[in-house]
Amino acid sequence: MNKPGNPLRNSVSSYCYQCVAGPDLLKVDTIDGVPFQIRPNGSAAKIHPAAGKVCVKAFGLIQKTNNPHRIQTPMMRTNPKKGRGEDPGFEPVSWDVALEAICERLNKARADGLKDASGFPRVAASFGGGGTPTVYMGTFPAFLSAWGPIDMSFGSGQGVKCYHSEHLYGELWHRAFTVSPDTPLVELILSFGANVEASGGVCGVKRHADARDRGVKRIQIEPHLSITGACSAQWVAIRPKTDPAFMFALLHVLLHEIPRERLDIAFLKRRTSSPYLIAPNGFYLRDPDSRKPLIWDLKTARAVAFDTPDTDPALEREFTLSGLEVGPDDVEWAHDGITCKPAFAHLVAHVEPYSPDWAAAICDVKAGVIRDTAQQYIDHAHVGETIEIDGKPMPFRPVAISLGKSVCNGWGGYECVWARTLMACLVGGLEVPGGTLGTTVRLNRPADNRWSSVVPGPDGFMSYPMNPTRKGEWQSSPSARHAHQTLVPLAANSPWSQALGPTHLAWMMQKEGFDHLPEPTQPDVWFVYRTNPVVSFWETDVISDAIANFPFTVCFAYTMDETNHMADVLLPECTDLEGLQLIRIGGSKYVEQFWDHQGFALRDPAAAPMGEARDFTWIATELARRTGLLAKYNTSINKGAAGVRLFGENYDFSLDVDTAHSVEQIWDHSCRAASAELTDGAESQGLEYFREYGFRTKPFPRAQWYLYPAMVAQDLRFELPYQERLLRIGQELGARLHEVGITWWDRQLQEYEAMPHWQDLQGLWEDALEKRYDVKIGDYPFWLLSARSMQYSWGGNAGLQMIHEVADNVAGHGGVMMNPAAAQKLGLSEGERVEIASPTGTTTGAVILRQGIRPDTLLMIGQFDHWKTPFAKDLKTPSMNALTPMMLELTDSTGSGADLVRVALRKIGAGA
Amino acid sequence: MTRYAIVADLNRCVGCQTCTAACKHANATAPGIQWRKVLDFEVGEYPDVTRAFLPVGCMHCDDPPCMDVCPTGATRKRDDGIVTIDYDICIGCAYCAVSCPYQARFRVDQPAAAYGGKAMRHEALREDPARIGVAQKCTFCVERIDAGCAQGLVPGVDGAATPACVNSCIAGALHMGDTDDPDSNVSVLLRENRHFRMHEDLGTGPGTYYLYDKKIGDDTAGDTAGEPVPMIAEPAGLAAVSPRLQTNWDWRAAANFVLGGTGAGLFVATVLVAMSTHVAWWAAFIALGLVAVGLSCVWLEIGRPWRFLNVYLNPKSSWMSREAVAALPFFGFGGLYLLWPGALVGLAAAASGLVFAYCQGRILRAAKGIPAWRQAGIVPLIVVTGLAEGAGIFTVMAVVAGYEFMLLSTIGSGLMALIALRAMLWQAYRGALGEAGAPAGALKALDGGFLNLSGRVQAVVLAVAVAGLLSPPVLALAGLLVLLTGWGFKYRLITGAAFNQGFAINRMPARGAGKSGPGVKPGWTVS
Repeated sequence: MNKPGNPLRNSVSSYCYQCVAGPDLLKVDTIDGVPFQIRPNGSAAKIHPAAGKVCVKAFGLIQKTNNPHRIQTPMMRTNPKKGRGEDPGFEPVSWDVALEAICERLNKARADGLKDASGFPRVAASFGGGGTPTVYMGTFPAFLSAWGPIDMSFGSGQGVKCYHSEHLYGELWHRAFTVSPDTPLVELILSFGANVEASGGVCGVKRHADARDRGVKRIQIEPHLSITGACSAQWVAIRPKTDPAFMFALLHVLLHEIPRERLDIAFLKRRTSSPYLIAPNGFYLRDPDSRKPLIWDLKTARAVAFDTPDTDPALEREFTLSGLEVGPDDVEWAHDGITCKPAFAHLVAHVEPYSPDWAAAICDVKAGVIRDTAQQYIDHAHVGETIEIDGKPMPFRPVAISLGKSVCNGWGGYECVWARTLMACLVGGLEVPGGTLGTTVRLNRPADNRWSSVVPGPDGFMSYPMNPTRKGEWQSSPSARHAHQTLVPLAANSPWSQALGPTHLAWMMQKEGFDHLPEPTQPDVWFVYRTNPVVSFWETDVISDAIANFPFTVCFAYTMDETNHMADVLLPECTDLEGLQLIRIGGSKYVEQFWDHQGFALRDPAAAPMGEARDFTWIATELARRTGLLAKYNTSINKGAAGVRLFGENYDFSLDVDTAHSVEQIWDHSCRAASAELTDGAESQGLEYFREYGFRTKPFPRAQWYLYPAMVAQDLRFELPYQERLLRIGQELGARLHEVGITWWDRQLQEYEAMPHWQDLQGLWEDALEKRYDVKIGDYPFWLLSARSMQYSWGGNAGLQMIHEVADNVAGHGGVMMNPAAAQKLGLSEGERVEIASPTGTTTGAVILRQGIRPDTLLMIGQFDHWKTPFAKDLKTPSMNALTPMMLELTDSTGSGADLVRVALRKIGAGA
Repeated sequence: MTRYAIVADLNRCVGCQTCTAACKHANATAPGIQWRKVLDFEVGEYPDVTRAFLPVGCMHCDDPPCMDVCPTGATRKRDDGIVTIDYDICIGCAYCAVSCPYQARFRVDQPAAAYGGKAMRHEALREDPARIGVAQKCTFCVERIDAGCAQGLVPGVDGAATPACVNSCIAGALHMGDTDDPDSNVSVLLRENRHFRMHEDLGTGPGTYYLYDKKIGDDTAGDTAGEPVPMIAEPAGLAAVSPRLQTNWDWRAAANFVLGGTGAGLFVATVLVAMSTHVAWWAAFIALGLVAVGLSCVWLEIGRPWRFLNVYLNPKSSWMSREAVAALPFFGFGGLYLLWPGALVGLAAAASGLVFAYCQGRILRAAKGIPAWRQAGIVPLIVVTGLAEGAGIFTVMAVVAGYEFMLLSTIGSGLMALIALRAMLWQAYRGALGEAGAPAGALKALDGGFLNLSGRVQAVVLAVAVAGLLSPPVLALAGLLVLLTGWGFKYRLITGAAFNQGFAINRMPARGAGKSGPGVKPGWTVS
């Protein structure tokens, strides 16, 4: 018993999932119920890849919880005028008043029909942090599920600041929403702008440190010497956005300068589409009867279906034969006596022009460096070797390629992701120990198990839930404002798909609609949580104006910020250390979160809610109750919408669907179901168990880190190098769009190539900016890039003093980084205030000189330029978001854009 | 024996600042105060650039200069190597802060809240009034170590007995353990890896080791960590790790050196002149007054002024304590001299004054954190400039008082001798400083302005003094110039040239399969 008068000390289990590289487990120490210290959770050391540690962001949670700037009561706007210059006149109200106001709107929207006259959902929601808000929003997903159609197309960085091409093509090719080297085994990593030491989370940092300790070689190829570059054996200062040329040159060396036998020929023949014969129109030559793609069998010297047993498929040479070719919309060509080459032979020809000498001039990297890089890649590939995993031999290929933001975003992303995945295939290093791995699936189902998502599809490849493009199936009326199902087949149609559509189109549409798409409308109700698009998206003024035009915005608000400045209702929810929630951990998740264990962890409140803040689950339940959706809401929870299905073969902890359950009841049921799931129904400990231990796991087989065994088990092939399916759907999509008169997506349609050609991306950007803004690009001599910061990324913590203080120790924060020689030419010195102008906007900041950046490149870390968020607004830190235009011309076929723009610098004098 | 130390593996460190934040949590340090942090170094010129991160904090030195200089004995070193501070006796003089070559010590004079105004609830909960106005630094989380050891745990192995920074390190870069135990985690690391210690040439025996490369067998190739670190006078982008002007001692500390030296010198001059003529009691009075005002200025600067008597607690090793001790006979005999101006009393007071001035020189010499102060030549220079300033001000007063010409000539001759001696000592000091290397900013400050001790300026002063042998007013001018140039030098020395040691990285680490490379000592130059 605690003696009266003695402070009561306690330690509470929780997790940090502020960034996509989580979750990580932690302990919160409290005195008299006041959280004052974050610690690693030492008891998780044996099951967590990073020994139960959390990164610097987690340590910001104490200030985040106790921040005096927190909004502590529900508030409602009194000034109907919205805009940056308007005082919203927020007045405190009771929860009852706030919820009634929201539910009145919701009930009206429901009464008017769930979709508006344009066919768009009347209710919209935006969440930031790459999906991480779901692990803080309790049962709100169950409310959204109960509600029905929700428009989630108003992005706050999705598509333009993520790893978009990797997400989409990665899922298509190897169930890889996120891609990672098999860091525990890899020997050589080629890292094109990937910044794992800043954004790979605790697991990434720990694993790469271990890898360096055992002598891994990482070559960092990027225009500035990032944190990851600093931690690499070699830095190659490539010209911005020329990565595809470098990677194509690597392919050239592997296919034209290195003996063929050094490649993994067996893998290419058995596990890829390399042997598939290509017909004259670019589609596979098929067996007329079975319609299966044909290969040339060297054993029998004849063309056979790709899945014919006991064959030796040819990879090269030309063959004369007959067959059927199937094009878009099932158009067929019957061929007789034509010459065909396997896809691999086409690949060899395709990369023939892309020599290192060709790439050198484009990338500003010596040809010898590129050649040497390719040579090291093949030298470290260990082609032919095996390793035992979980008692079974598997190929061992310890080489991998990582791609960073902006490298696999926007134009060029397709080329880079294709080349990266193909590089892995050439040495048999895709989804095998040591090689290049996917770590999670979001678009394919089930989302919590990559192996189970391996389902046979057409032509010997995995299936993929493409949005249909065939006549009669294509969705001409978008289901969301950014038209992801209409424009982007690869975005698929999972709960995550909206976030992977062309989110900036939703914003652009608010300013000016697109021809032949429905009239742009505003959502009747817009929910916002853990995101601040007015700061985090591009052309921030446009975003701000659009949001100001939304009729009813509900922000789950932590402090005032630039987005909730335009809100109608502010709802203070329990922050990270105050709310209760159970989440899944382990298995294989984002980035480097592939574990040897899997299970669940509890976020146990370390403190009572501050002020009138309420647990998100309570809010969700109230919304469901007041909108008459309680039964659907509870049913959704029972089905797993809150993270764990409450019933299984041997157990049933389902909630009574007609009752409004308390927060603790809901999570107690979830904990019991989690216990049962982990023990096949043998045990059913609830909330108290998780409160005592914090987490519960069972082993996760290491073999499941790799997709290869699942592919072999079903005799499936990775769909590389040839993209017949993409070629087909691209042509079908083009036909559909043209049928309704849409021609503004034609440039994007060109990207649907069977094998991507190099394109001058720098020129593409320059031309687009010159044409759109009628400027001379020479007046904007620098390329401006952005980089992630471990201290800030995804954290929503720009308003935390402690984070700012410690981030200041890392060079580059708080200003614009530039090369000293470039600065000298402009007469600029360290710390001088400058105006940075792009054709679309300006920002100001202090000059930070570093030798580790190209003279033609500037860098701004993170996302700032706040004008409302307390503390952050006083930092005078520049951000490239105000400078980066949202342009259709700079949007690729997946709907993504890249953090890249041309800018000029101008001295504005000290103290400005 | 036990010797706890930190080993930082630079190949692993990613500069994430998790240790910085964990330390802030564990120790509830004030906003802006970082007992531990990670520095960001860059070496080379584009495109041949490498970058590395260097965790720093209190090095818990074998021979901690902060402990020796502490006038109160508040800073102590435990048998296990941990350097501690007793907040209850520290007077907050910040002498330890200027003596630490690692910028590891801080003084917070007012409670501070992260967002200003009212403290947040966790801040209020952990406010420690004992830490206000006194020196503070990394404690090595000594309470955790002691509590852990009491439970039979092993520091550096068991988390509950290990400092928060080490426990939190996500890269596994920070290690802590007993270097006296050959089988400890840190001993093994040190055996298997090449390593350096920062500023090892200063002889403090820092307890933080930096691993920068693997050691393979007896291979010593590339093991150049012990060699001088390359200096760069004006490195672009390395301001955060380059020497900075210390801010612990300001004009108030400078006033003590300025007035203390002059007062002591004036008293000596007064006593010596009194052997040829009557006692200039007014000069003796002014001399005592100058020293008193100087000491009062220091009193105004210390963080805990009402503990000032604690300054006498460590005469065993602290020159600040000794200065305070020397002040006692100086004021005692000096006061007596005013009442009873006998030669013996005067000489005793003058000798005490000389000791006082000598102590001032030694105070600076012992401040290992300030390269411009710790030069050996600073001691005679401080003593002699004090004597010269005293002679100078006495000369001015003698002219004003109408001393006879012959006596003035004698005084003038003595003044010229002191000018010459001071100039020679300056040259020796400045030459040695430039040869050894110093912060570029320190050298620039010492050489700047016109009220300094440079040969050029002192030649002018000497010429004026020579001319003064013919003209008392000119002699007075010479005395005044001696005074002002001495004051200018000392004020500049304390407030303008007092750049701290800065940080250095002896070798850039090998990253994975990469190679280690030369390090850098930014902001330093030889000249």
